[in-house]
Amino acid sequence: MKMQPLIVVLHVLMVVVFGLLGWRLFYLQHCQADYYADEAYSSLHAYTRQEPQRGRILDSGGVGGRVLAASNKIQTVFIDPGVLGHWDDVMETAGALQDVLGMGAMEICDMIAERRTRRFVAIKEGITEAQREAIVAANLRGVGIQSQYRRYYPMGALTSHVVGFIGGNTDPNDFDKIGLSGAERSYESLLKGSRGNHVFLVDKRRYPIGMDTKRSVAARDGSSIVLTIDSTIQEFARSALMKQVQAYQAESGAAVVMNPWTGAILALVSLPDYDPLEFGKADIGRLRNRALTDPFEPGSIFKPIVVAGALDKGLLHTTDRIYCEDGYYEKYRIGEWAGHRFGNMTVKAILTESSNIGMAKIGQKMGQKNLYEVVRLFGFGQPTGVDLPGEDAGSLRPTNEWSSYTITRIPYGHEISVTALQIIRAFAILANGGSPVTPHLVRAVVDDKGEVTQVSRRANLAGHLIKQEVAEWVVREALTNVVNEGTGKEAALEKWQTWGKTGTANIATNGKYDTVNYTASFVGGAPADVPQVVTLVTIRKPNKALGKGYSGGRVAAPVFREIMEKTLTYLEKNQR
Amino acid sequence: MITAAKDSRIAYLIEAAVLLLMAMGTVFVFSAGANVSSSYSFRHFYQFTTLKQLFFFPLAVAILYGASRIDYRWFSFNRSGPKRSLAAYMLGVSIVLLAVVLLFGTEKNMARRWLVIPLGPASVSFQPSELAKWSMVFFLAAFLDYFADTVHLFWKRFVPICLIAGLVVGLIVTQDFGTAAFIAMLTFVMLLIGGARWWHFVVPALAAAPVFVAAVMASPTRINRIKAFVSPELASPANLYQAQQSLIAIAGGRTWGKGLGMGISKYGHLPEDTTDFIFSIIAEELGFAGALFVVLVFALLVILGLTVAIRCRDRFGKLLAAGITLTIAIQAAINIGVVTVVLPTKGIPLPFISAGGTSMLLCAAAAGILVNIAKQNPAQILLARRETIRHMTHAAKNESELPTLHRTPTRLLTRV
Repeated sequence: MKMQPLIVVLHVLMVVVFGLLGWRLFYLQHCQADYYADEAYSSLHAYTRQEPQRGRILDSGGVGGRVLAASNKIQTVFIDPGVLGHWDDVMETAGALQDVLGMGAMEICDMIAERRTRRFVAIKEGITEAQREAIVAANLRGVGIQSQYRRYYPMGALTSHVVGFIGGNTDPNDFDKIGLSGAERSYESLLKGSRGNHVFLVDKRRYPIGMDTKRSVAARDGSSIVLTIDSTIQEFARSALMKQVQAYQAESGAAVVMNPWTGAILALVSLPDYDPLEFGKADIGRLRNRALTDPFEPGSIFKPIVVAGALDKGLLHTTDRIYCEDGYYEKYRIGEWAGHRFGNMTVKAILTESSNIGMAKIGQKMGQKNLYEVVRLFGFGQPTGVDLPGEDAGSLRPTNEWSSYTITRIPYGHEISVTALQIIRAFAILANGGSPVTPHLVRAVVDDKGEVTQVSRRANLAGHLIKQEVAEWVVREALTNVVNEGTGKEAALEKWQTWGKTGTANIATNGKYDTVNYTASFVGGAPADVPQVVTLVTIRKPNKALGKGYSGGRVAAPVFREIMEKTLTYLEKNQR
Repeated sequence: MITAAKDSRIAYLIEAAVLLLMAMGTVFVFSAGANVSSSYSFRHFYQFTTLKQLFFFPLAVAILYGASRIDYRWFSFNRSGPKRSLAAYMLGVSIVLLAVVLLFGTEKNMARRWLVIPLGPASVSFQPSELAKWSMVFFLAAFLDYFADTVHLFWKRFVPICLIAGLVVGLIVTQDFGTAAFIAMLTFVMLLIGGARWWHFVVPALAAAPVFVAAVMASPTRINRIKAFVSPELASPANLYQAQQSLIAIAGGRTWGKGLGMGISKYGHLPEDTTDFIFSIIAEELGFAGALFVVLVFALLVILGLTVAIRCRDRFGKLLAAGITLTIAIQAAINIGVVTVVLPTKGIPLPFISAGGTSMLLCAAAAGILVNIAKQNPAQILLARRETIRHMTHAAKNESELPTLHRTPTRLLTRV
């Protein structure tokens, strides 16, 4: 080939080569960009996590609320045994730490020896700032300081069932503790906050060059929640209940104090209880919030509800007189408590004297369908929707499963099981004039910037489940009379007109009732005209053998009286 | 004798392209030299690639202009015989320096490629193989011009030139395989252009093949590099690392790049980031736009070089212009091919851009010679044409009488 054409060919060839290289660049930088970005991500980036501070749980008492649960930052000294290859290194490090931490070097060595294969051995938690500085200054190999949040429960066992506890992992390296019970669990998503992730670009040695702001997310602290609980009232309820549970050697007890107008729970106690920081050591039975997890046959405290329903439906009139079979209703095998023999009784008297036969006959007057509807109307057989985990629905069988006796049993609180919360909700409805309420625990949610983001729902006082005059008659006439003249005399207070209903229910063991195990209850409120609070006390299995009594009027009513007296005094003083 | 024209747009364009590439090189060597932990001190001035390059840039510009003032015919054998040709002396000096570096050179990365000349507190290091490369190109151009009529003679011309090339390649091959192979390739290209018969190459190819295979086999790194390229799935991660990091850097640039100085690969992820892999850093920081721009400037340089070669009216100038242009172009193509992992990893710098004084200054000098060829062989046909058109336009009385360009009788105007 001649020279000139060859030169042209070679040069053109080079231009073509550059063109192909341009295409290669296009392929790499457009088509393959994402692939290589993924490939390189981990080698070009490093990240540090930032733990959010879990929100606080406050009560409604005092000024601005008292702390029921809070997370504080603590510093933990740890050793990475993987870095300390030789045992001499461990000894040396332990020796350097012993003076700073005030721990024995041998003790530290033992801790490491036990967990030789781990990469993280916590040596001491909650060190002081001076200790932290000393350790940083010493610049010891394999020794690190980690900050983490630690949950505190200043009220301890007092609010244990309401506040709950967090846990889930005992590994100190794992921050992912979640609410396992109480408000800690039901408000987990609000309290938790979100973890921050700071992404850095790093060089080959993994030293940071700069921050990748697009990928970095700042931690967001959890929201705090303000409970409707007032720890002062909680304390009244707990101490009163505990006194009685101990005095009667009872198996367990529950007390609930509620604002009948809003459904706000002011106190909720379940005994026995536990220390939230030591929940792992507590007996499993202590962890249950019995006010909502343990349904029971309510007994006589159920009577006012059926009466209110019957009156509301017009199937019963306050002026009606009912024949109480002179103490034994043979057809349905029903007797009266303590062997009473009643003749013709008014509705008011039936409630005052707590006549089972009278109630059975009211049930018969109503018929299956209406009775079922009334019980259902007051929310039995379904959860109340309280913002606490583990709520039981109780049991109310549909009418097609009823026996011929059922219609006579439900009116006096048998063949149905309910939770304490369902009962107090029903009494709140009676107390507020028949409006539905939802029991709830949280009054407000305050986000990490201090803004109130959520306020609790109020009761729907415009709507009525039952007629107002019916609810008022039951409370002001019948239930007031129970305290003044009937079975609930122990619940009477001088300063306020209390009202309520006693209940002494047999407990079925293996399908049979006995004469040893009872549930003693009292539920009511005060004052009678505009009730401020409703309170329920239920004590399971008071020891009958002590000979001090076992009835609701005897065991539960004094607890009710103490709680009410202190609470009403407290509320009057604080004028909330 | 034809006198140099005062005006040559091609010469300006070559200068502009080269300056642009050198400026980009300086900027990116500075960028790639960024290091979080290093502290600068004047005492170590010369050791810092980054600062060294800042110093070399003006020097390279001076050399570019200086070289463009040297008449390229000084390198020719035809002017006053081979004994008075600069090309012959350049080659002689190169061979001596190669021998010296082989015996007394300083070892860097397991290879003796550098002559370190102490100069007071600092020292200047020099790479004789770079000089040898250019010397071969100049020498071959002169040789093939001088023996234009007899170049087809196998024993008298082809064999001696192969022996000279073999000596140069042989001196380099043990220390710098890439450059040696590149020189061998350039020799082949130059001989092909110069009129050697293609079947002549069969003999040296047969002779060189076992040597090549032996050289490859002698070095485990070379075998691994080739293995890594042929079958990436069989290669060890260490072999793949550099290529992979280069691809990560390039792909990371996407369309517009991460921004000047914003790349991450230079922080230890990509080895040889200021030298052989500087193009990856450009692609990372300026993206496809910047990388393609560099490729296009090289392509432009090829077209300009081709224009110079075509316009040049003497055989030596044509050979030299083509030699210089192709040397720069092939080297750039190999380098970009390596960093984009089209070719196996091989230590060849990117002309004008990679850090390294010897390479940059010699490339600038070669480009200067190319500029000189361009200046001495201006586009006289075009110039003449323009003059004619201007005269005719003046004479034209209305638009319809205006002449069209392609009708101009160019043949007549060639020797104005």
